[in-house]
Amino acid sequence: MTVNPYQPIDGEIVDIIDESPTIKSFVIVPEEQFSFKTGQFVELTLPGEGEAPFTPSSSPSVTEKMEITIMKAGHVTGLLHEAGKGQKVGIRGPYGNGYPVDDFVGKELYIVGGGVGLAPIRSLFLTLVDRIKDFKAVICRFGAKTPEDFIYKKTLFGPWQNIKGVDMELTVDEADGQWKGNVGVVTTICKKGDVNVKNAVAIICGPPIMMKFATMKVIDFGFRPQDIYLSMEKNMSCGIGKCGHCMLGKYYVCKDGPVFTYEQIKDYPNIWD
Amino acid sequence: MEAVFISELKPFLDAVAQQMQLYVPKKSGENYICTRYDPANETPVEFNNIRTCTTIKEFLFPVCELASVYPEPVEPEDIKPFAVFGLKDCDLRSMKVLDKVFLEEDFEDLLYVRRREKMFIISTDCFDPAENCFCSLLDGSPFAQSGFDLNVSKTKGGFIIEAGSQKGRDFIEKNTDLFTDVPQTALNERDQNRADAQKRLEQNNSEYRFDAPIKEIVEKCRESEAFDVEAESCVECQACTRICPTCHCFYLYDTKQQDYFSKMKMWDSCMRMAYAAVAGGANPRKILGDRIKHRLLHKFVYFSDRYGIDMCVGCGRCMDTCIGGTNTRDLLKKLNEEFKSNKKSKVTK
Repeated sequence: MTVNPYQPIDGEIVDIIDESPTIKSFVIVPEEQFSFKTGQFVELTLPGEGEAPFTPSSSPSVTEKMEITIMKAGHVTGLLHEAGKGQKVGIRGPYGNGYPVDDFVGKELYIVGGGVGLAPIRSLFLTLVDRIKDFKAVICRFGAKTPEDFIYKKTLFGPWQNIKGVDMELTVDEADGQWKGNVGVVTTICKKGDVNVKNAVAIICGPPIMMKFATMKVIDFGFRPQDIYLSMEKNMSCGIGKCGHCMLGKYYVCKDGPVFTYEQIKDYPNIWD
Repeated sequence: MEAVFISELKPFLDAVAQQMQLYVPKKSGENYICTRYDPANETPVEFNNIRTCTTIKEFLFPVCELASVYPEPVEPEDIKPFAVFGLKDCDLRSMKVLDKVFLEEDFEDLLYVRRREKMFIISTDCFDPAENCFCSLLDGSPFAQSGFDLNVSKTKGGFIIEAGSQKGRDFIEKNTDLFTDVPQTALNERDQNRADAQKRLEQNNSEYRFDAPIKEIVEKCRESEAFDVEAESCVECQACTRICPTCHCFYLYDTKQQDYFSKMKMWDSCMRMAYAAVAGGANPRKILGDRIKHRLLHKFVYFSDRYGIDMCVGCGRCMDTCIGGTNTRDLLKKLNEEFKSNKKSKVTK
């Protein structure tokens, strides 16, 4: 018997981490066996209130729980931000195609992330770090509005920077007194000399405007459209390529994405909106 | 093909209704709608000479239905066998579109599957195509060629009933007492009726000729201003998407009951402003013209890229229902003219 694709499994929020004034991470324990590939997303239900798509930010190698980092933006996310430990949730998925990590072996990875876009990137980053020797280099260029707006501060400002094989630079749009790093949008820390584009892929995730300019920037570096991986944010509702909300040209972002190469989608209208 | 004859509809419909719920056309104003058949009703069922307003999707994918109950799943209610009488070729072809989406192997939609399996399809010949019917431009015809269990053709002396599936053959066999052999004159008349209807369709659409496959025209004209011009006469009522037999957008919403929660699956419309908006505020189709364009691209380009068939059957219901002034067929014609002149200007260059 086929399963009902609209049936969520139960889960419980066991911990909540404040990441920034508008972003929290929720540690969720699914009550049934649940696994995902990095870059795939889940539909998270707040019982009786609604459902929204999120890409887990934890490593897929951790299977007994998963972390989802959520920015307060709408109805469901607003209520989730008010929820406490013990809150029951529903989970459908995982859906879509994640990052084809095996295809990245032997290459330099040029990862550009901004704002809450670091959530899917964190999952990818942890996956890469688990097998860091498989990659030529992991180059990260991350940005946030202000230092306070950076998520994963504890690891980002410390341990992650010291991992061998990782080259990380951070920037903020507006500095505060403590900030000693770069000030400017994320593309200001992306330099052509950072990466050997002949043997590299670019991975971009962030707000639409940032993704647009970062994509243009790495194209300037000489990245081919098929080597640029974009994690697209669309209104995924059913998650299974039927309801139509997330259509991007002929693709259903939920089923054919959310990770696309720029080559796949570049000719469709309004991809950045 | 197996065919039998019956002089009156009633005994045939009664026999169907004995086995399952039956829906039949009923005149409502100038149109037909589907209603539940009542054998006790004295008024005879009218043979609909054109498609009903009710689309096949309403039987397979209702406006609103229960998608799931949680946290404790509940076995869905049994769907009882049901039959629909009076479906046309455009309806059957629209079902093929819905099948592609909801019966897709990797994610079958159980809600659809359950209804689809229980549906007994009785199509009828369409011998009075309307002004707005343009199935002939999209490989359709005024009579069904496949996809039915039984097909009924009206002639002066009675009705030819033809089986198109095992279910249909079983029905004829079981009710063999009702039927007689088909007179040759009836067959001749049916063929004549079909040819006449086909001719009328072609006449109605004689001014719509395309210089390339519609898919190519729409794809090449995606930058056309015609979509924004079309938007000027659209009142955003979304009726076109509701009445369209192939449109299948829906959204899921959650409800709170006393003892459980549920997800409901409800029709949605890509013509709605916030349809594709995300919580963060981005919206790829804020502009109405972009939504009209997306709908047309979906119907003639994206769907066919994905599934190999058009997502429009040319039933013309969208034009019948539009209270603004939009017109799918005219829009295609406009795009064709642009396509032609673009091509010419390229050649001249």
